[in-house]
Amino acid sequence: MKTTDDDLVICRCEEITLGEIRQAVRDGAREVSAVKRRTRAGMGLCQGRTCEPIIQGIIKQEIKALNETTGKLTARFPHRPVKFSVLGGMTDEES
Amino acid sequence: MRNPDVIVIGAGVIGTSVAYYLTERNYKVLLIDKGDAAVGTSSHCDAAAMLTDKQPGADAALGFSSIGHFVELSKNLSMDFEFAQTGSLYICETDFEYTVATDYVNSLRSEGYPVHMVDRKELAEREPYLTKDLTGGFWSDVCSQMNPYRLCFALIEEAKKKGLETAFYSPVLSMKREGEDYIVSTPAKEYRSKLVVNCAGIWAPHIGHMLGLSIPIFPRKGVILLTEKTFPLCRQKVQEYGYLVTKFHPEMERHLDPLIEDNNVSFTIEPTNDDNFLIGSSRNFVGYDNSVEPEIAQGIAKRALRFFPILKDINCIRAYSGLRPFVPDHLPIISPVDNLPGYYIAAGHEGDGISMAPITGILISQMVNNEKPDLALEPFRFSRFSDGSSRHI
Repeated sequence: MKTTDDDLVICRCEEITLGEIRQAVRDGAREVSAVKRRTRAGMGLCQGRTCEPIIQGIIKQEIKALNETTGKLTARFPHRPVKFSVLGGMTDEES
Repeated sequence: MRNPDVIVIGAGVIGTSVAYYLTERNYKVLLIDKGDAAVGTSSHCDAAAMLTDKQPGADAALGFSSIGHFVELSKNLSMDFEFAQTGSLYICETDFEYTVATDYVNSLRSEGYPVHMVDRKELAEREPYLTKDLTGGFWSDVCSQMNPYRLCFALIEEAKKKGLETAFYSPVLSMKREGEDYIVSTPAKEYRSKLVVNCAGIWAPHIGHMLGLSIPIFPRKGVILLTEKTFPLCRQKVQEYGYLVTKFHPEMERHLDPLIEDNNVSFTIEPTNDDNFLIGSSRNFVGYDNSVEPEIAQGIAKRALRFFPILKDINCIRAYSGLRPFVPDHLPIISPVDNLPGYYIAAGHEGDGISMAPITGILISQMVNNEKPDLALEPFRFSRFSDGSSRHI
């Protein structure tokens, strides 16, 4: 079965491909957060840790303006998955 | 390129809806935003179109009408925006809340809306993971969910088929009048048209200021926690009755943990099209700062555990916040402006932007096209702030 590089999975958590990301840029996304909104890339468990730099590179390629800024995803609390029992301050007896 | 008929400023749910309904009436529309579509409030929210978080009267009429239009949009837009009419459940923590809620439900029912009280048994049937110690609540089957930023993309895609042009990453730097024309200046270009709609949400006052307008919209922050993908924690949107208190009467004391009360935290959980769940909520005024205060996230988690103890071993993978465009009398501004012919405001939907997007787009397009509007426009007029008739509810 022949595949193009469009089929390469870039965001492993949400299984978003290179082709989908390129299409998002063609539809108007010029920053990583805009690609994220259009494709779900970066919305998974690792919150873009794996795919963000790759997406930045893809955006640059697509807009062919290597000195344009691609933006960054905003690192947000919580910086790692945290159980609700911890966030909500449950004691050891309660949880 | 000839001048557009209408320039719409702001490509969130309101702006994209206004653009869509105007193109449906064959207007040539240019949609401008300082970023991509849905870069602001419309992608930093949860995503329900509800009846039962509206006040009886004009508010509920707007909400109910809009939901009906969503059903049409879900059929007419080629892009799927994950619309689902799953209903919504409000839960009452105390007998007192249940009594007050009964009055609220009766007033909505007297206006003809489908909503009814549910007892403890029906609560458990509708939501098996909900804590079992509540008195009851109320349920409406018209409430629905969707993906709000996909809604924006879907509306744009459809409107493009009828000639919509977009100018993204084009912040409006200044505006002026020249005869009958409005000149809208962005870094790359100057645009000109006889009709402008200010759909810039929390930024509507900045846009309005460019033509000397004072628009009373203030950012009211809300934090949302995102769960990891997991089993069906809930089947529909579930909200505590205290949500209506924090929305309309934050001065009322609820006698809860300060972490919860001081941050106006009230519980809401909502399923999404994927297996993540959105958990909220909070309301505070901190200007345009949309960072997440950890104490607020903690307050939301704590309140959520009270109602859905099963959450304790579920992971929160992200917290984000959105800035709702708050208007002191809790009604949006959907209106022409008296001394600026051709200028309209469609903004200030605080927490109801998603649900009111379709009807707002329709009303603006009816106003622009000189058609009889679907709803009485009187409660939403901009002049209510200057003639003293606006009242804080």
